Amino acid sequence: MSASIEKKTAEFEQPLIAGNPSFDSVTNSICNIIENKPPRLWYIAISVAGSFALMFFGLIAYLIWEGTGIWGLQVPVAWGWAIVNFVFWVGIGHAGTLISAILFLLRQRWRTSINRFAEAMTIMAVIVAGIFPAIHVGRVWALHWVFPLPNQMGLWPNFRSPLLWDFFAVGTYFSCSFMFWYVGLIPDLATLRDRAKSKIKKIIFGIFAVGWRGGNRQWRHYEVAYLLLAGISTPLVLSVHSVVSTDFAVSIVPGWHTTIFPPYFVAGAIFSGFAMVLTLAIIARKIYGLENFITVNHLEKMNKIMLVTSMIVGYAYSCEFFIAWYGGNEYEGFAFLNRAFGPYAWAYWIMITCNVVVPQLFWFKKLRRSIPVMFIASIFINIGMWFERFVIVVSSLAADFLPSSWDYFSPTIFDIGFLLGSFGLFFTLFLLFLRFLPMIAMSEVKGVLPQADPHHHDKTEHN
Amino acid sequence: MNKENLQGKEYWRSLDQLADTPEFRKYLENEFPEGIGEDNSLSRRNFIALMGASMALGGLLGGCRRPVEKIIPYVTPPEEIIPGVANRYATTMPFGNSAYGLIVESHEGRPTKIEGNPDHPSTMGMSNVFLQASILGLYDPDRSKAVLHDGQEAEWSEFVEFWNGQYEKLSKNKGDGLAILSESFSSPTLARLAGQFKRKFPKAKWVAYEPVGDENIFEGVRIASGQALRPVYHYNKAKVVLSLDSDFLYDESENITSAKGYADGRRLKSEKDDMNRLYMVESGFSVTGGMADHRIRLRSRLIGSLTAALIRELDSSGLNAGGILPDINFIAAPELDRKWIKVVARDLINNKRRCLVVAGHDQPAGVHAMVYAINHALGNIGNTVEYYSMNDSLTSNRAEFASLTNDMNEGHVDTLVVLGGNPVYNAYSDLGFNSAMKKVENTIHLSSHVDETSKEANWHIPQAHYLESWGDVVSVHGIKSVVQPMIAPLYDGHSAYELANLIATGEEKGGYEIVVETWGGIINGDFERSWNRVLHDGLFIDKKSSAKKTGLNSGSVKNHLKKNISSYHAVLGEDIEISFAVSPAVYDGRFANNGWLQELPDPITKLAWDNAAQISHNTANKLDVNNEDLIEIEYRGKKIEAPVWVVPGHADNAITLTLGYGRNSCGRIGDGVGYNAYLLRNSDAPAFDTGVAINKTGRIYKLASSQDHSSMEGRPIVREATLEEYRDHPEFAPGMVEHPPLKNLWDDHSYEEGYQWGMTIDLNSCIGCNACTIACQSENNIPIVGKNEFSKGREMHWIRLDRYFTGDVENPEMVHQPIACQHCENAPCEQVCPVAATVHDKEGLNTMVYNRCVGTRYCSNNCPYKVRRFNYLNFTKDTPESMKMAQNPDVTVRSRGVMEKCTYCVQRISEAKIKSKADGRDIVDGEIVTACQQSCLTNAIVFGNINDPESEVSKIKSRNRNYELLKELNVRPRTSFLARVRNLNPELDDSKKETSN
Repeated sequence: MSASIEKKTAEFEQPLIAGNPSFDSVTNSICNIIENKPPRLWYIAISVAGSFALMFFGLIAYLIWEGTGIWGLQVPVAWGWAIVNFVFWVGIGHAGTLISAILFLLRQRWRTSINRFAEAMTIMAVIVAGIFPAIHVGRVWALHWVFPLPNQMGLWPNFRSPLLWDFFAVGTYFSCSFMFWYVGLIPDLATLRDRAKSKIKKIIFGIFAVGWRGGNRQWRHYEVAYLLLAGISTPLVLSVHSVVSTDFAVSIVPGWHTTIFPPYFVAGAIFSGFAMVLTLAIIARKIYGLENFITVNHLEKMNKIMLVTSMIVGYAYSCEFFIAWYGGNEYEGFAFLNRAFGPYAWAYWIMITCNVVVPQLFWFKKLRRSIPVMFIASIFINIGMWFERFVIVVSSLAADFLPSSWDYFSPTIFDIGFLLGSFGLFFTLFLLFLRFLPMIAMSEVKGVLPQADPHHHDKTEHN
Repeated sequence: MNKENLQGKEYWRSLDQLADTPEFRKYLENEFPEGIGEDNSLSRRNFIALMGASMALGGLLGGCRRPVEKIIPYVTPPEEIIPGVANRYATTMPFGNSAYGLIVESHEGRPTKIEGNPDHPSTMGMSNVFLQASILGLYDPDRSKAVLHDGQEAEWSEFVEFWNGQYEKLSKNKGDGLAILSESFSSPTLARLAGQFKRKFPKAKWVAYEPVGDENIFEGVRIASGQALRPVYHYNKAKVVLSLDSDFLYDESENITSAKGYADGRRLKSEKDDMNRLYMVESGFSVTGGMADHRIRLRSRLIGSLTAALIRELDSSGLNAGGILPDINFIAAPELDRKWIKVVARDLINNKRRCLVVAGHDQPAGVHAMVYAINHALGNIGNTVEYYSMNDSLTSNRAEFASLTNDMNEGHVDTLVVLGGNPVYNAYSDLGFNSAMKKVENTIHLSSHVDETSKEANWHIPQAHYLESWGDVVSVHGIKSVVQPMIAPLYDGHSAYELANLIATGEEKGGYEIVVETWGGIINGDFERSWNRVLHDGLFIDKKSSAKKTGLNSGSVKNHLKKNISSYHAVLGEDIEISFAVSPAVYDGRFANNGWLQELPDPITKLAWDNAAQISHNTANKLDVNNEDLIEIEYRGKKIEAPVWVVPGHADNAITLTLGYGRNSCGRIGDGVGYNAYLLRNSDAPAFDTGVAINKTGRIYKLASSQDHSSMEGRPIVREATLEEYRDHPEFAPGMVEHPPLKNLWDDHSYEEGYQWGMTIDLNSCIGCNACTIACQSENNIPIVGKNEFSKGREMHWIRLDRYFTGDVENPEMVHQPIACQHCENAPCEQVCPVAATVHDKEGLNTMVYNRCVGTRYCSNNCPYKVRRFNYLNFTKDTPESMKMAQNPDVTVRSRGVMEKCTYCVQRISEAKIKSKADGRDIVDGEIVTACQQSCLTNAIVFGNINDPESEVSKIKSRNRNYELLKELNVRPRTSFLARVRNLNPELDDSKKETSN
């Protein structure tokens, strides 16, 4: 059954990897990136990103020293950019696992060119995301109370609190994604180990390759493990952002208290995740000359997914408005009118433009396959998705039940610094990944090359 | 199918594999070991070694010694003090010519909290913002700490020596060239000393000056009655009250009893009850204006005309007001609404002897004389207003102050003693007090701070706070009481009594001795016993004091009105009127260094940390200015700059400036806050005048407001009806919200056993005076955050006053609503806290566990009332040492990063519980009084056990006006509100639009 689908898709589609490479040339072109001196641009990029990352750590130190008052937070807006950034980065972290797990289970073999890359991006994004809820609390030094640690006073965390669910959801997601990524890396790490010329590299890669020799039994176990991890990760892709959305949906704040949030957040997360993968992939394939591996076909497929998720997100936006009107709750009704026409209208319309209008370009094949168009669109989508979280978090809090407490949130220089710093850390981690690990899964790419399937032609002949 | 076969040819990798040796099989088996190697586990030995190492490391870090602090125990403990148990003492706070009886809570010898003395007629157990906040003034770290001689630190003994020299010299020339400038007072001892002073130095002067006071009222009453009297109003007896620019609920003297009486006159148990009706005429919006049933806005200067027109109207309705008016058409000004005046006159006549007309202290004496005549004609004197004679008092007098300044300027004064007050800052600018003072050879200034006047004086003497010195006062009712110190002077201060005694007698005596000397003549019989009784009770019941019988001297009034026609009759046209109002926070500037008061949002504008120039919408449009625009106000050749704040309901073509700000020598809190409106104030027009020019500067000045949004957006937040509507629909308040059945997600906790705490707030009584906010701040150690943090919305007040405007934009009604934690039974904050730092106790309190809080702020987001306050920064870090003494030891001082909120004064609940347990009884209803409830001037707040159907709070909750705010959210708040009712006059009901000019 699945074999026939594969066959059919194979007929319609061009080869997944262009340029008809051999196994050897795949290994060479990917490994050379790591083994040779990186291009100049890499050094420039890491120094810029690294500076921002250092600034980020400096700001965190100052935050812990001085308190969350350095941000523009107040009452009623007690959550601001830190939470916006958290949700934004967790959302970014969705594409990786989606590509690796769900597309793997759905046998979308085109994923092999971008999965490693996307997974790494996931890990980095979740690392960056995870920093925010930790540092945004008032007393960082007491944060471990959130964990159910046995103690002599018999105090347990409050399992009713969505924040607690959050910790578990994001924690589980991170550990599973990391495992998945690492397991996927093992054959490639072994390749690097075997090719390593210096002793230190040999030892380090040797350690991380955990004795991989490509034996038959290893491969069989590996495939099963990979499949299992994909199976475990798949529900996580859906669960983590659903749980993140409960931070809002479980509360009673008008504009937060809505049941549409879990699917809406997941769609938004995939949307933003793909946009970020696209942004990074376009840059990386250009710099490292990987056009054959990440072909326009790959990019087009991602654009299609983005178009779909954009429509889901757009539907969610309008559905919220419909329910706010149809539900007849005056507080909710006001919250949405206030979003679109109140003091935060500018943010709302940025969000609508970037998330709903811009992706409509992808209806046109020409635009969908145009690298400059999709690059700019992906950046707009990233901006729009950040603003989506801003609109949800801030505009809802700023005007809730009693008009007497309404206030306007203004960010401070530190809010901006933390946002820039988080990008700095993300890119630093990502650039380090590009430098030291194979950004494309060599073993998997080899698996989708025509020569990996000696019976390929036989089968088509018999049909 | 065998998969191996698919591989085609079999390749072999090694000879072992080919041979399929047992070694190779074993190798294959081991290729993927199933479990983790057994040898990896941590052995007991390793574990202990590791633990030892980490402990040693911990020891290295924790090895620093704490500094040794020596604690001196009570070897011979003071008799009354039990550590941890507060003592309460009675004392009295002098304030102008008023005296407010207090009970002061003292912990281990340091006073921490001020409450009203229930036995004292001026407080009746309540206290306003100034009384509450005055305790902070005691611990003000910026108080002056030493005698200064020409700016150099000196000793008190040096001053005594100096004065002895002066005394001898002045004794010879009978005090020629000597003058005392004091604050106004009503004090037997100061009056005695003033008498001695006069006898010793017959040529010397003793003048009293207050920038804001009741001088006009006293003068008006003197003109009309021929005696030095002061009024005592009985608002509770009045069915109809007409207030002519009198903010008697807030900034007039004796506002506590006025507010209580006014609220008593409109308490509604059910729709069958009757309530009083308040008509208000004023220029700016005041707290009293917000409580009015009918309010019209009118420039202050036209209020005299309105009063005269009212007299005409009363006259024509057959009431003889004494024929006091000159023959002028008072109704000339187009703003005066004839119909309104007619209706009010009729209402007053219909309620003869049960109505009351009052005028504000800013109105000129003529208006007060007219008001006296009206009350006289209506038969109110002796019923709703009584007059008491002013014994032992010295009142502020503009004319005498002006003549003293003149004498100084002309060099007739060579020794000036300023007993308190700050005339260099707050004297009328036309008098040139500052330059006059420079011409005086010896100037001595007694002051709690090295203020603007101290800097100009040769001698500065630090003044003791009233909580650390002996004194005595007479209340408006003529009741004498003693000012009893709670603590020894913190900074070697001396009281006005001690200095006046030294000035008058040349002898150095302690305050106690001086006061006891006076009281020897007051108390008859066993002095020791009666004196102790006075100290214990806080007042001396003297049967002699009773209201005076007074008549009307219409000739005198007529003469006065004829002579001063311009002060109460004017046609202003489009001229902009400037008026000076006392600050609801820092009063006349004396509280400028009081952080609680500086951070107290103005009841009307909701501004803190600044004063603004208040104008109406129309005037703002006319001048083309907006909120926070800096304008230049030019008046009689002097200019100041002030930021604009548009106040709905302000009279058009009028600008109100708030006094008391713009100080530059009061301390770390008040220096440079706001602009100084005294610079524009003249002795001939102390309250209002025309002839002002306003220019835009084009600059912006940022103001800090605690409430940005003044509309209720049509939401049923403050629920209100007219008396008529209430009678037709008694259940209107709870009926204003419809909601589906409220179901809970989990099993409800039953709160049926033991004490179940709850609160009611009657919005029909609440006047929005902020007393609860300051009382709460004092009781619960709430920090101030400063203008910058305040403007960001990070104020920490646990109870705030929400102010909404309703109705017409130009002439709206105003309502206030105190909001603190509602202690929801189904609290949304509790469900979202990840660490269970906010939880419910079995008595229904929503408790906040500071120790457990990690500061996610989720609870605040999920609080529909937004009553939770977060310590975004370490707001208590910089609390000066002396201020720490003002803190309540029963309440934790919160640190950075934790959430806090109203606890229903859990420390007071615990105290009562401990006490009742020790006595082996249950807590009695009314035994626990929360700080807000205690201070509430109108008893709007009631707290108690809702599980007891006989408790007051339960009874109030069963009234039909009772409603729970945001009940539709199923949060089940324990605090409920009682809807407000306005008693509209049916004849004016439809004319509202017309009266808004």
